[in-house]
Amino acid sequence: MGAELTAIEYVFPEKVVTNEELKIEFPEYDFKKFESKVGIAQRYVASENETAITLAIKAVEKLFANSNFSKNDVDFILYCTQSPEYILPTSACLIQSACGINSDVGALDFNLGCSGYTYGLHLAKMLIDNKNIQNVLLITSETYSKYINPLDRTNRSIFGDAATASMVTYSESNCIGEFLFGTDGTGYKDLIIKNGAGHSQFNPSATLKSYGSENYYTDNNLYMNGPAVFNFTSEIIPAFTEKVLKINKIEIESIKQFIFHQANAFMLNLLRRKIGIDKAQFYVDLRDGGNTVSNTIPIALKRYITNNNTIQKGDEVLLMGFGVGLSWSGGVIKINNLK
Amino acid sequence: MKTNAFLTELTEELELEVSLQTNTKFKDLEDWDSMGAMVLIGFVSDNFGITLTGDDIENLSDVQSLIEKIGITKFSE
Repeated sequence: MGAELTAIEYVFPEKVVTNEELKIEFPEYDFKKFESKVGIAQRYVASENETAITLAIKAVEKLFANSNFSKNDVDFILYCTQSPEYILPTSACLIQSACGINSDVGALDFNLGCSGYTYGLHLAKMLIDNKNIQNVLLITSETYSKYINPLDRTNRSIFGDAATASMVTYSESNCIGEFLFGTDGTGYKDLIIKNGAGHSQFNPSATLKSYGSENYYTDNNLYMNGPAVFNFTSEIIPAFTEKVLKINKIEIESIKQFIFHQANAFMLNLLRRKIGIDKAQFYVDLRDGGNTVSNTIPIALKRYITNNNTIQKGDEVLLMGFGVGLSWSGGVIKINNLK
Repeated sequence: MKTNAFLTELTEELELEVSLQTNTKFKDLEDWDSMGAMVLIGFVSDNFGITLTGDDIENLSDVQSLIEKIGITKFSE
């Protein structure tokens, strides 16, 4: 007995921002080079009245519309977000009522970024190992665009908004393998929004600061120390990937596809070369959507199974998330009846 | 690595319009920005197994200072 990932759906906000549109605001920047190196052509941003749970609810509705699950089948809601609707209550409770999911359900939020989906799969499996729970609805949703300063060209180019909904269910065969985790809180300042929570209040007259090459932000905004996050990833993730392979007792060659958090095509290819993974086995596609934080892995996995007709039952996929925290996690899943 | 090969490969990797020389100052390059820094970190990591930090890059003056940071003994004429 075990657990199995059986369905994924994703949604983007309607508003799309292309590189050509960003070029109008930042005429000095070479967006052609950005597209060829970082691999992003367009991203989606939530409108003023649209929040992360608006997107999350759309993803959940899409999941129910396209699968055999009914709302009454859900035993537990896991909601991964860093864009909560309120400081309290728990956003997952709002999703439960908005989606009309039965009240006989557990619901909790967890605050993780790019390592969130892999954490979520493991948590879902652990819940299902407790025999009272059969179906876990795992949701990811982010609207980082609301946190980014309009003058922060780099983060506006990289990040996009999205939501995903996945169903993890009890299964006779165990399709969710071993997952491992890592944390280095000393890097907490490398990807942070300083103001607005417990440490410092939102400051309407916060000072405009610059970083990198002509990017601007205040302490109310999202700040990312790009080189530090880049280096953390290239130093930690190759050896960590080896550990994940080892604990799952599988060789690189036997993994059908490596799906890493789609952060940046240049960085992904650097990781691929360091680990020694063949190009054909390694997923890189963030042209449409950009870096959507905890959403990139389920979006990539859904696109991969939809666009690839060589997938067979039992094929194994290695998933790897890494980012804000600093936090990382990864594991291996078997594709069985994933739709 | 031969210094000339290093200069040619790095010029290509950074997609620069002008060829890098040892005395080229990074901040004088027209398209030197955070993307260039990222490409430079990747290039040095791939070819020399050395990690440059954001501070290292901030403190680089010209290409010669990069060669010294990587280690002069790793280069030949």
